[in-house]
Amino acid sequence: MTATLEAITGRYVTLDVAGVPQRMYFEEAGSGPVVLLFHTAGADNRQWRHILNDAELTNRFRFIAPDMPWHGKSLPPDGWHTEEYLLSTDAYMATVLSFCNALGLDRPIYAGCSMGGRIALQLALHHAEHFSGFIAIEASDFQPAWYDIDWFHRPDAPGGEMGAALVSANIAPQAPEVERWNTQWMFMQSGPGVFRGDLSFYTQDDSLVGQLDRIDTSAAPVHIMVGTYDLTCTPEDAQRTADGIPGATLDIMPEIGHFPMSEHPTRFRPHFVEALARMG
Amino acid sequence: MLDTPDVATRLDAMRARHNALPHLARLGALFSETVLLEIDDAEFYLHFDNGRLAEIQPGPSRKTPWRFAFRSDGDALDAFWQVHPVPGFHDVFGLVKIGRGRIEGDILCLVKNLRFFKEFMALGRPDIAK
Repeated sequence: MTATLEAITGRYVTLDVAGVPQRMYFEEAGSGPVVLLFHTAGADNRQWRHILNDAELTNRFRFIAPDMPWHGKSLPPDGWHTEEYLLSTDAYMATVLSFCNALGLDRPIYAGCSMGGRIALQLALHHAEHFSGFIAIEASDFQPAWYDIDWFHRPDAPGGEMGAALVSANIAPQAPEVERWNTQWMFMQSGPGVFRGDLSFYTQDDSLVGQLDRIDTSAAPVHIMVGTYDLTCTPEDAQRTADGIPGATLDIMPEIGHFPMSEHPTRFRPHFVEALARMG
Repeated sequence: MLDTPDVATRLDAMRARHNALPHLARLGALFSETVLLEIDDAEFYLHFDNGRLAEIQPGPSRKTPWRFAFRSDGDALDAFWQVHPVPGFHDVFGLVKIGRGRIEGDILCLVKNLRFFKEFMALGRPDIAK
Protein backbone atom coordinates (compact mmCIF):
# COMPACT_ATOMS: atom_id res chain seq x y z
CA MET A 1 0.00 0.00 0.00
CA THR A 2 1.27 3.45 -0.92
CA ALA A 3 1.42 5.91 1.96
CA THR A 4 -0.71 9.02 1.57
CA LEU A 5 -0.32 12.21 3.53
CA GLU A 6 -3.73 13.84 3.69
CA ALA A 7 -4.17 17.58 3.17
CA ILE A 8 -6.23 17.97 6.35
CA THR A 9 -4.62 20.01 9.13
CA GLY A 10 -5.76 20.10 12.76
CA ARG A 11 -5.44 22.95 15.23
CA TYR A 12 -6.81 24.08 18.57
CA VAL A 13 -8.40 27.38 19.49
CA THR A 14 -9.07 28.61 23.02
CA LEU A 15 -12.10 30.81 23.37
CA ASP A 16 -14.92 31.79 25.70
CA VAL A 17 -18.41 30.48 25.19
CA ALA A 18 -20.90 32.43 27.29
CA GLY A 19 -18.12 33.16 29.78
CA VAL A 20 -16.87 29.57 29.96
CA PRO A 21 -13.33 28.94 28.69
CA GLN A 22 -13.24 26.21 26.07
CA ARG A 23 -10.46 24.62 24.03
CA MET A 24 -11.83 23.50 20.71
CA TYR A 25 -10.20 21.28 18.14
CA PHE A 26 -10.88 21.79 14.46
CA GLU A 27 -9.67 20.43 11.17
CA GLU A 28 -9.54 22.31 7.92
CA ALA A 29 -8.61 21.95 4.28
CA GLY A 30 -8.85 24.03 1.13
CA SER A 31 -9.10 27.65 0.18
CA GLY A 32 -11.95 29.90 -0.90
CA PRO A 33 -15.26 30.74 0.72
CA VAL A 34 -15.45 29.23 4.20
CA VAL A 35 -17.83 26.33 4.82
CA LEU A 36 -18.28 25.26 8.43
CA LEU A 37 -19.01 21.55 8.89
CA PHE A 38 -20.65 20.54 12.18
CA HIS A 39 -21.01 16.93 13.28
CA THR A 40 -23.98 15.02 14.69
CA ALA A 41 -24.77 14.19 18.30
CA GLY A 42 -22.48 11.70 19.97
CA ALA A 43 -19.75 11.93 17.32
CA ASP A 44 -17.03 14.27 16.07
CA ASN A 45 -15.54 15.97 13.03
CA ARG A 46 -14.23 12.73 11.53
CA GLN A 47 -17.70 12.37 10.03
CA TRP A 48 -16.64 15.06 7.54
CA ARG A 49 -13.23 13.67 6.56
CA HIS A 50 -14.32 12.62 3.09
CA ILE A 51 -15.34 16.18 2.19
CA LEU A 52 -12.13 17.55 3.73
CA ASN A 53 -10.16 15.13 1.57
CA ASP A 54 -12.03 15.94 -1.64
CA ALA A 55 -9.48 17.79 -3.79
CA GLU A 56 -12.04 19.07 -6.28
CA LEU A 57 -14.04 20.67 -3.50
CA THR A 58 -11.09 21.95 -1.47
CA ASN A 59 -9.88 23.75 -4.60
CA ARG A 60 -13.05 25.84 -4.37
CA PHE A 61 -13.84 26.05 -0.64
CA ARG A 62 -12.10 26.30 2.70
CA PHE A 63 -13.78 23.67 4.86
CA ILE A 64 -13.51 23.95 8.64
CA ALA A 65 -14.84 21.12 10.81
CA PRO A 66 -14.73 21.66 14.59
CA ASP A 67 -15.27 19.20 17.39
CA MET A 68 -17.90 20.65 19.70
CA PRO A 69 -16.79 20.96 23.35
CA TRP A 70 -17.06 17.52 25.03
CA HIS A 71 -16.64 15.84 21.62
CA GLY A 72 -13.69 14.34 19.79
CA LYS A 73 -10.46 16.11 20.73
CA SER A 74 -12.17 19.12 22.32
CA LEU A 75 -11.99 18.69 26.08
CA PRO A 76 -15.00 19.34 28.27
CA PRO A 77 -14.74 22.53 30.35
CA ASP A 78 -12.96 22.63 33.69
CA GLY A 79 -15.10 21.01 36.38
CA TRP A 80 -16.82 18.64 34.00
CA HIS A 81 -16.49 15.78 36.46
CA THR A 82 -19.22 17.18 38.68
CA GLU A 83 -21.34 18.61 35.88
CA GLU A 84 -24.25 16.95 34.12
CA TYR A 85 -23.69 17.63 30.43
CA LEU A 86 -26.90 18.88 28.88
CA LEU A 87 -26.53 20.81 25.64
CA SER A 88 -28.86 23.76 25.20
CA THR A 89 -29.86 25.77 22.15
CA ASP A 90 -28.35 28.94 23.60
CA ALA A 91 -25.03 27.28 24.46
CA TYR A 92 -24.89 25.63 21.06
CA MET A 93 -25.50 28.86 19.15
CA ALA A 94 -23.01 30.71 21.38
CA THR A 95 -20.41 28.05 20.60
CA VAL A 96 -20.81 28.43 16.85
CA LEU A 97 -20.75 32.24 16.99
CA SER A 98 -17.78 32.33 19.34
CA PHE A 99 -15.89 29.88 17.11
CA CYS A 100 -16.54 32.06 14.04
CA ASN A 101 -15.44 35.15 15.93
CA ALA A 102 -12.28 33.50 17.25
CA LEU A 103 -11.23 32.48 13.74
CA GLY A 104 -12.25 35.80 12.23
CA LEU A 105 -14.65 34.19 9.78
CA ASP A 106 -16.73 36.58 7.71
CA ARG A 107 -20.19 35.23 6.95
CA PRO A 108 -19.27 31.60 6.35
CA ILE A 109 -21.61 29.02 4.91
CA TYR A 110 -22.86 26.84 7.74
CA ALA A 111 -23.44 23.10 7.17
CA GLY A 112 -24.41 20.74 9.96
CA CYS A 113 -25.99 17.33 10.36
CA SER A 114 -28.63 16.12 12.80
CA MET A 115 -28.26 18.30 15.89
CA GLY A 116 -25.87 20.34 13.72
CA GLY A 117 -28.73 20.70 11.27
CA ARG A 118 -31.21 21.68 13.94
CA ILE A 119 -28.91 24.45 15.14
CA ALA A 120 -28.54 25.58 11.51
CA LEU A 121 -32.23 26.40 11.58
CA GLN A 122 -31.92 28.15 14.96
CA LEU A 123 -29.01 30.21 13.61
CA ALA A 124 -31.02 31.02 10.49
CA LEU A 125 -33.81 32.27 12.73
CA HIS A 126 -31.75 34.24 15.26
CA HIS A 127 -28.36 35.07 13.70
CA ALA A 128 -28.70 34.92 9.92
CA GLU A 129 -26.68 38.09 9.48
CA HIS A 130 -23.51 36.24 10.51
CA PHE A 131 -23.78 33.63 7.74
CA SER A 132 -24.09 33.53 3.97
CA GLY A 133 -26.21 30.38 3.89
CA PHE A 134 -27.33 27.28 5.75
CA ILE A 135 -27.18 23.62 4.74
CA ALA A 136 -29.30 21.78 7.29
CA ILE A 137 -28.79 18.04 6.94
CA GLU A 138 -31.16 15.53 8.57
CA ALA A 139 -32.78 18.56 10.14
CA SER A 140 -36.27 19.45 11.19
CA ASP A 141 -38.02 21.74 13.62
CA PHE A 142 -38.51 19.02 16.22
CA GLN A 143 -38.80 15.30 16.82
CA PRO A 144 -39.50 13.78 20.20
CA ALA A 145 -37.35 10.78 21.19
CA TRP A 146 -38.51 7.34 20.09
CA TYR A 147 -36.11 5.85 22.66
CA ASP A 148 -35.12 6.55 26.28
CA ILE A 149 -32.11 8.89 26.25
CA ASP A 150 -31.16 7.71 29.76
CA TRP A 151 -30.19 4.35 28.28
CA PHE A 152 -26.98 5.97 27.13
CA HIS A 153 -25.48 7.03 30.44
CA ARG A 154 -25.63 4.30 33.05
CA PRO A 155 -23.06 2.90 35.45
CA ASP A 156 -23.88 -0.68 34.47
CA ALA A 157 -23.63 -0.51 30.70
CA PRO A 158 -21.43 0.90 27.94
CA GLY A 159 -23.32 3.98 26.73
CA GLY A 160 -21.19 4.47 23.64
CA GLU A 161 -21.67 0.94 22.37
CA MET A 162 -25.39 1.04 23.08
CA GLY A 163 -25.64 4.39 21.33
CA ALA A 164 -23.85 3.00 18.30
CA ALA A 165 -26.19 0.01 18.20
CA LEU A 166 -29.17 2.33 18.39
CA VAL A 167 -28.02 4.71 15.67
CA SER A 168 -27.25 1.81 13.36
CA ALA A 169 -31.02 1.88 12.82
CA ASN A 170 -30.42 5.15 10.98
CA ILE A 171 -27.84 3.83 8.53
CA ALA A 172 -29.15 2.78 5.13
CA PRO A 173 -28.59 -0.86 4.14
CA GLN A 174 -26.84 0.38 0.98
CA ALA A 175 -24.05 2.01 3.03
CA PRO A 176 -20.63 0.47 2.40
CA GLU A 177 -19.80 -1.92 5.23
CA VAL A 178 -16.55 -0.12 6.10
CA GLU A 179 -18.25 3.25 6.48
CA ARG A 180 -21.19 1.75 8.39
CA TRP A 181 -18.77 0.60 11.06
CA ASN A 182 -16.58 3.71 10.95
CA THR A 183 -19.72 5.73 11.58
CA GLN A 184 -20.58 3.62 14.61
CA TRP A 185 -17.03 3.71 15.95
CA MET A 186 -17.31 7.44 16.63
CA PHE A 187 -20.40 6.88 18.75
CA MET A 188 -18.65 4.08 20.62
CA GLN A 189 -15.84 6.54 21.43
CA SER A 190 -18.02 9.37 22.70
CA GLY A 191 -17.44 10.44 26.29
CA PRO A 192 -19.69 9.23 29.08
CA GLY A 193 -23.02 11.01 29.00
CA VAL A 194 -22.20 13.06 25.92
CA PHE A 195 -24.64 11.36 23.55
CA ARG A 196 -27.34 11.63 26.21
CA GLY A 197 -26.57 15.32 26.74
CA ASP A 198 -26.73 15.98 23.00
CA LEU A 199 -29.99 14.11 22.70
CA SER A 200 -31.43 16.13 25.54
CA PHE A 201 -31.10 19.19 23.30
CA TYR A 202 -32.20 17.39 20.17
CA THR A 203 -35.26 15.64 21.56
CA GLN A 204 -36.55 18.11 24.12
CA ASP A 205 -36.00 21.63 22.77
CA ASP A 206 -39.06 22.38 20.66
CA SER A 207 -38.50 26.12 20.50
CA LEU A 208 -38.46 26.13 16.68
CA VAL A 209 -42.03 24.91 16.47
CA GLY A 210 -44.22 27.74 15.25
CA GLN A 211 -41.19 29.92 14.44
CA LEU A 212 -40.15 28.57 11.03
CA ASP A 213 -42.02 31.21 9.03
CA ARG A 214 -39.89 33.89 10.70
CA ILE A 215 -36.73 32.58 9.00
CA ASP A 216 -35.76 35.03 6.25
CA THR A 217 -34.18 33.07 3.43
CA SER A 218 -33.62 36.25 1.43
CA ALA A 219 -30.94 37.14 3.98
CA ALA A 220 -29.30 33.71 3.78
CA PRO A 221 -30.58 30.69 1.86
CA VAL A 222 -31.70 27.58 3.73
CA HIS A 223 -31.31 24.18 2.07
CA ILE A 224 -32.53 21.07 3.89
CA MET A 225 -31.29 17.58 3.04
CA VAL A 226 -32.67 14.28 4.31
CA GLY A 227 -32.01 10.59 3.67
CA THR A 228 -34.86 8.22 2.97
CA TYR A 229 -33.61 5.75 5.59
CA ASP A 230 -33.48 8.28 8.42
CA LEU A 231 -35.76 7.00 11.17
CA THR A 232 -34.96 9.92 13.48
CA CYS A 233 -35.50 12.86 11.16
CA THR A 234 -37.74 11.28 8.55
CA PRO A 235 -38.33 12.71 5.08
CA GLU A 236 -41.78 13.69 6.35
CA ASP A 237 -40.19 15.67 9.21
CA ALA A 238 -37.85 17.43 6.79
CA GLN A 239 -40.66 18.10 4.31
CA ARG A 240 -42.84 19.63 7.04
CA THR A 241 -39.93 21.82 8.07
CA ALA A 242 -39.06 22.94 4.54
CA ASP A 243 -42.71 23.71 3.87
CA GLY A 244 -42.73 25.94 6.94
CA ILE A 245 -39.77 28.11 5.86
CA PRO A 246 -40.62 30.49 3.01
CA GLY A 247 -38.05 30.04 0.26
CA ALA A 248 -36.35 26.97 1.77
CA THR A 249 -35.35 24.14 -0.55
CA LEU A 250 -35.37 20.41 0.17
CA ASP A 251 -33.39 17.46 -1.21
CA ILE A 252 -34.57 13.95 -0.33
CA MET A 253 -31.64 11.58 -0.81
CA PRO A 254 -32.38 7.94 -1.70
CA GLU A 255 -30.46 5.05 -0.13
CA ILE A 256 -29.03 7.29 2.60
CA GLY A 257 -29.73 7.44 6.33
CA HIS A 258 -29.02 9.90 9.13
CA PHE A 259 -25.24 10.23 8.56
CA PRO A 260 -24.88 10.95 4.83
CA MET A 261 -21.34 12.34 4.75
CA SER A 262 -20.07 9.53 6.95
CA GLU A 263 -22.11 6.43 6.07
CA HIS A 264 -22.05 6.80 2.28
CA PRO A 265 -19.69 9.58 1.18
CA THR A 266 -19.79 8.92 -2.56
CA ARG A 267 -23.58 8.90 -2.68
CA PHE A 268 -23.74 12.04 -0.53
CA ARG A 269 -21.21 14.02 -2.55
CA PRO A 270 -23.35 15.10 -5.54
CA HIS A 271 -26.12 16.17 -3.19
CA PHE A 272 -23.65 18.26 -1.19
CA VAL A 273 -22.19 19.82 -4.33
CA GLU A 274 -25.69 20.86 -5.32
CA ALA A 275 -26.28 22.25 -1.83
CA LEU A 276 -23.10 24.35 -2.02
CA ALA A 277 -24.20 25.71 -5.39
CA ARG A 278 -27.43 26.89 -3.79
CA MET A 279 -25.53 29.00 -1.27
CA GLY A 280 -24.88 31.67 -3.90
CA MET B 1 -45.38 -13.78 3.14
CA LEU B 2 -43.47 -16.06 5.46
CA ASP B 3 -45.55 -18.77 7.11
CA THR B 4 -44.60 -20.52 10.32
CA PRO B 5 -42.62 -23.39 8.69
CA ASP B 6 -40.70 -20.80 6.63
CA VAL B 7 -39.78 -18.90 9.78
CA ALA B 8 -38.75 -22.09 11.57
CA THR B 9 -36.53 -23.11 8.67
CA ARG B 10 -34.99 -19.65 8.50
CA LEU B 11 -34.30 -19.64 12.24
CA ASP B 12 -32.55 -23.00 12.03
CA ALA B 13 -30.29 -21.63 9.29
CA MET B 14 -29.67 -18.49 11.32
CA ARG B 15 -28.70 -20.60 14.32
CA ALA B 16 -26.11 -22.44 12.26
CA ARG B 17 -24.67 -19.21 10.88
CA HIS B 18 -24.74 -17.55 14.29
CA ASN B 19 -22.90 -20.34 16.05
CA ALA B 20 -20.21 -20.33 13.36
CA LEU B 21 -19.34 -16.65 13.89
CA PRO B 22 -16.61 -16.17 16.55
CA HIS B 23 -17.26 -12.45 16.91
CA LEU B 24 -20.86 -13.07 17.95
CA ALA B 25 -19.68 -15.51 20.60
CA ARG B 26 -17.39 -12.77 21.88
CA LEU B 27 -20.05 -10.05 21.73
CA GLY B 28 -22.56 -12.27 23.51
CA ALA B 29 -20.18 -13.83 26.00
CA LEU B 30 -22.26 -12.49 28.91
CA PHE B 31 -25.61 -13.11 27.23
CA SER B 32 -27.36 -16.19 28.57
CA GLU B 33 -31.02 -15.37 28.21
CA THR B 34 -34.16 -16.65 26.54
CA VAL B 35 -35.70 -14.41 23.90
CA LEU B 36 -39.25 -14.92 22.69
CA LEU B 37 -39.71 -14.33 18.99
CA GLU B 38 -43.39 -14.25 18.13
CA ILE B 39 -44.28 -14.08 14.44
CA ASP B 40 -48.00 -13.88 13.79
CA ASP B 41 -49.30 -16.54 16.20
CA ALA B 42 -46.17 -18.69 16.23
CA GLU B 43 -43.80 -18.61 19.20
CA PHE B 44 -40.09 -19.42 19.10
CA TYR B 45 -38.07 -19.43 22.33
CA LEU B 46 -34.44 -18.70 21.55
CA HIS B 47 -32.25 -20.03 24.35
CA PHE B 48 -28.87 -18.25 24.24
CA ASP B 49 -26.02 -19.61 26.34
CA ASN B 50 -22.93 -17.39 26.63
CA GLY B 51 -23.55 -15.99 23.19
CA ARG B 52 -24.31 -19.30 21.49
CA LEU B 53 -27.84 -20.10 20.38
CA ALA B 54 -28.17 -23.39 22.23
CA GLU B 55 -31.76 -24.23 21.32
CA ILE B 56 -34.77 -22.96 19.42
CA GLN B 57 -37.82 -24.19 21.28
CA PRO B 58 -41.05 -23.93 19.31
CA GLY B 59 -44.13 -22.76 21.17
CA PRO B 60 -46.75 -22.31 22.25
CA SER B 61 -45.70 -22.42 25.85
CA ARG B 62 -47.16 -20.91 28.96
CA LYS B 63 -44.35 -21.97 31.24
CA THR B 64 -41.19 -20.86 29.46
CA PRO B 65 -39.77 -17.70 31.02
CA TRP B 66 -38.16 -15.15 28.72
CA ARG B 67 -36.16 -11.94 29.24
CA PHE B 68 -37.55 -9.94 26.35
CA ALA B 69 -39.83 -10.60 23.42
CA PHE B 70 -39.87 -9.34 19.88
CA ARG B 71 -43.22 -9.65 18.13
CA SER B 72 -43.86 -9.02 14.47
CA ASP B 73 -45.63 -10.56 11.48
CA GLY B 74 -44.56 -12.72 8.57
CA ASP B 75 -44.90 -10.01 5.94
CA ALA B 76 -42.82 -7.57 7.97
CA LEU B 77 -40.16 -10.17 8.67
CA ASP B 78 -40.04 -11.12 5.01
CA ALA B 79 -39.38 -7.46 4.17
CA PHE B 80 -36.82 -7.21 6.99
CA TRP B 81 -34.91 -10.20 5.68
CA GLN B 82 -34.34 -8.73 2.20
CA VAL B 83 -30.76 -7.77 1.33
CA HIS B 84 -31.80 -4.14 1.01
CA PRO B 85 -35.03 -3.74 2.96
CA VAL B 86 -37.16 -0.69 2.24
CA PRO B 87 -37.03 2.15 4.81
CA GLY B 88 -38.49 1.22 8.17
CA PHE B 89 -38.13 -2.51 7.51
CA HIS B 90 -34.34 -2.32 7.62
CA ASP B 91 -33.93 -2.47 11.38
CA VAL B 92 -35.50 -4.11 14.43
CA PHE B 93 -36.23 -0.73 16.01
CA GLY B 94 -37.36 0.49 12.60
CA LEU B 95 -40.09 -2.14 12.64
CA VAL B 96 -41.11 -0.91 16.08
CA LYS B 97 -41.15 2.71 14.96
CA ILE B 98 -43.39 2.00 11.95
CA GLY B 99 -45.73 -0.13 14.05
CA ARG B 100 -44.79 -3.53 12.61
CA GLY B 101 -42.82 -4.77 15.59
CA ARG B 102 -43.18 -4.69 19.34
CA ILE B 103 -40.70 -5.23 22.14
CA GLU B 104 -41.86 -6.46 25.52
CA GLY B 105 -40.17 -7.47 28.74
CA ASP B 106 -36.74 -6.29 29.84
CA ILE B 107 -36.04 -3.75 27.10
CA LEU B 108 -32.91 -2.56 28.90
CA CYS B 109 -31.48 -6.07 28.58
CA LEU B 110 -32.13 -5.84 24.86
CA VAL B 111 -30.51 -2.41 24.60
CA LYS B 112 -27.44 -3.58 26.52
CA ASN B 113 -27.08 -6.38 23.99
CA LEU B 114 -28.50 -4.51 21.02
CA ARG B 115 -25.65 -5.02 18.58
CA PHE B 116 -25.58 -8.72 19.39
CA PHE B 117 -29.32 -9.18 18.91
CA LYS B 118 -29.46 -7.04 15.77
CA GLU B 119 -26.64 -9.02 14.18
CA PHE B 120 -28.40 -12.26 15.02
CA MET B 121 -31.66 -11.04 13.48
CA ALA B 122 -29.84 -9.84 10.35
CA LEU B 123 -28.55 -13.38 9.75
CA GLY B 124 -31.92 -14.16 8.16
CA ARG B 125 -30.88 -12.07 5.18
CA PRO B 126 -29.46 -13.89 2.15
CA ASP B 127 -26.04 -12.33 2.47
CA ILE B 128 -24.94 -9.78 5.04
CA ALA B 129 -21.44 -9.46 3.54
CA LYS B 130 -21.23 -6.52 1.13
